[in-house]
Amino acid sequence: MTEPPVSVPPASEDITRHAALVALFIGIAAIAAGYAIAFSAGGTPAWAAWLLALGIPVALAAIMILGAARGRRGIGPLKLPFAFVALVLVIGFGAALALPATEGPLSTLWLGLPARAAIVIYGVGLLPILVLPIAYALTFETQTLSAEDVERVRALAREYQAALENGAPEPMDNDRRG
Amino acid sequence: MIQTASVSALLQVALPNAARPAVVAVGILYFAVVLGISVWAARRTRTARDFFVAGKGIGLVALTVASVSVSVSGFAFIGGPGFIYAVGLGAMYIVLPAAVTNVMGAWVLAKRMRLLGEARSLITIPDAIGARYRSRAAQGLSAVAILVGIVGYMATNALAMGVVINSIFGVGLGWGIWIGMGVTLAYSASGGILAGIYNDVFQGTLMAVASVLVFLFVLNFGGGLGEISRTILAHDPTLLGPWGKLTPLAALSFFFVFSMGSLGQPQAVHKYYMLRDPLQLKWYPLLKTLGLVLVLLLYFSVGVGVKAFVLNGRLAPLASPDQATPALLLNVTPIILAALVFSGVAAATMSAANSFINIGAAAVTHDLPVAFGRRVKNELRWGRAVTVLIAIAAAITAQRSGTMVAFLGIFGWGLFASTLVPALAVGLNWQGATRAGAMASIATGLIVTLALETAAYWKVFTFPAGVTASAVAMVSSFLVFFIVSWLTRRTAPMQIDPDVRLVMEL
Repeated sequence: MTEPPVSVPPASEDITRHAALVALFIGIAAIAAGYAIAFSAGGTPAWAAWLLALGIPVALAAIMILGAARGRRGIGPLKLPFAFVALVLVIGFGAALALPATEGPLSTLWLGLPARAAIVIYGVGLLPILVLPIAYALTFETQTLSAEDVERVRALAREYQAALENGAPEPMDNDRRG
Repeated sequence: MIQTASVSALLQVALPNAARPAVVAVGILYFAVVLGISVWAARRTRTARDFFVAGKGIGLVALTVASVSVSVSGFAFIGGPGFIYAVGLGAMYIVLPAAVTNVMGAWVLAKRMRLLGEARSLITIPDAIGARYRSRAAQGLSAVAILVGIVGYMATNALAMGVVINSIFGVGLGWGIWIGMGVTLAYSASGGILAGIYNDVFQGTLMAVASVLVFLFVLNFGGGLGEISRTILAHDPTLLGPWGKLTPLAALSFFFVFSMGSLGQPQAVHKYYMLRDPLQLKWYPLLKTLGLVLVLLLYFSVGVGVKAFVLNGRLAPLASPDQATPALLLNVTPIILAALVFSGVAAATMSAANSFINIGAAAVTHDLPVAFGRRVKNELRWGRAVTVLIAIAAAITAQRSGTMVAFLGIFGWGLFASTLVPALAVGLNWQGATRAGAMASIATGLIVTLALETAAYWKVFTFPAGVTASAVAMVSSFLVFFIVSWLTRRTAPMQIDPDVRLVMEL
């Protein structure tokens, strides 16, 4: 009877993924702290929102890097798009928080909206669209998935299927504790 | 996106009677096309794989449009514009994440889910969790979480369908529910996800066309966005501030829940299994993002447009914010445009209902039996049977109506996000994540969401301004996932099979 391939300990996590995980944890912790502070007796301090304004971009960029990192190659040319989007989000949220509220009938309009709103709607809402999906498509074969990658998975799947047909237990059957 | 809010959109608003000949005619035509697609799909559905993942045979464009369709509910057409009308641009933080969510989903989940489908012939989200952690218990627990979320979604979507169909045909709410659910059931049970996908393509196209036409009409009618803004700024400038009338914390909470939470929405994530060729993922995020932007144009333009038209006296004041879209359509736009949008709203609710019925049926006939070490012998037959049961149960629950149905639907998005995002999205990208961490995280998301939503619903306590149960539950679930995985890190290496490891390393 042929056994399915057994588990082997992983190689140590690469630096990029490790850094992304740390950043994701920090981002989530910052958001958690923002919420925790909101429960304080004296009402929500204004800087609680800053924790979210910084934590959200960090967490989103981190999880994208975690997904895009490829072994020791890391994220390669995707460094720039990720940095750009994280910065756009931080600057967009930060500007909305920091700039004075001057909206009024005589406000200068940017593409039809007052300045702070335009920064958020066009900056946070549209700029990433011009960068991220294009970066994804342009780096797809080198950074995400190639025909060789798909063939490697299919080959291993065939091996697995053959093992099962030869009577090997189904994957989860050899670990009943879980 | 935004499925949850369809509750507030379509349950709290009594849509006006739109039963005009043109609206009824377009409505009938819409239902005829849906039934035609269903008959065609039923003839091509022969196996459980066809029924649950369309035989992994959907092309890029069809999958993209279908995915846009299930990502948007009636909220984008009714409740969303009403929300902007009421609170200004703060309401945009629900849809702004669309700029990053599709490509984020592609990097974090799409490739790995699609390759897992290739390696293991997986067909459900809990399948992926079970394979990742070599754990039937984790698969079963995630299936339970999905079923809990679906209970609420299905009842609220059934009720929303009733509201819309009653508005179009004037048949009464009860008949509206049964007609809507009957048609959805007909194509869900006969053609499974294949019928769902191609109906989604039709429905998504309808939504995009309606949205773009309304957007152009509003800009033209209002003299451009600048004129619309000037009118609002002259009366209530806060509405066009970056947070509108929301607190910054509330607006940013929306952004967090609707961005990170998108990685745990089964109706969207499940679609990754279906793409015919994994290499077609290359253009998927770009096409889906552009599609979503088109569908969401109505959300923004009607919200700010109607506010300006009411402020400058071109429209009568609204009885409630949710009347923004109906008031514009029935008083200002050409009736054929109104007919398209009302059919678009029906399409949005039916497309969401179909997806949830299919995912719920898979959880019952596939995931739960697997969790107990069993396999249902004829998954196709049982899938169809459970589909019928879920639809009937949802329609009956919806008919009971009342605030309890609305309550059930409120936590759907947050529940999926808090139970699935850490275990699935982080877990598929971090080999140090453990089975114990995943299960603790899923359980935390489930318990915290239900406990906080129930407590808030019964007014046991009130959240501080800007804090939501969904956000707190998701943050708690993340932290538990990290901490438990770290505490049990010695077990991590032995919990990943080689094929799964290869998929995670690519």
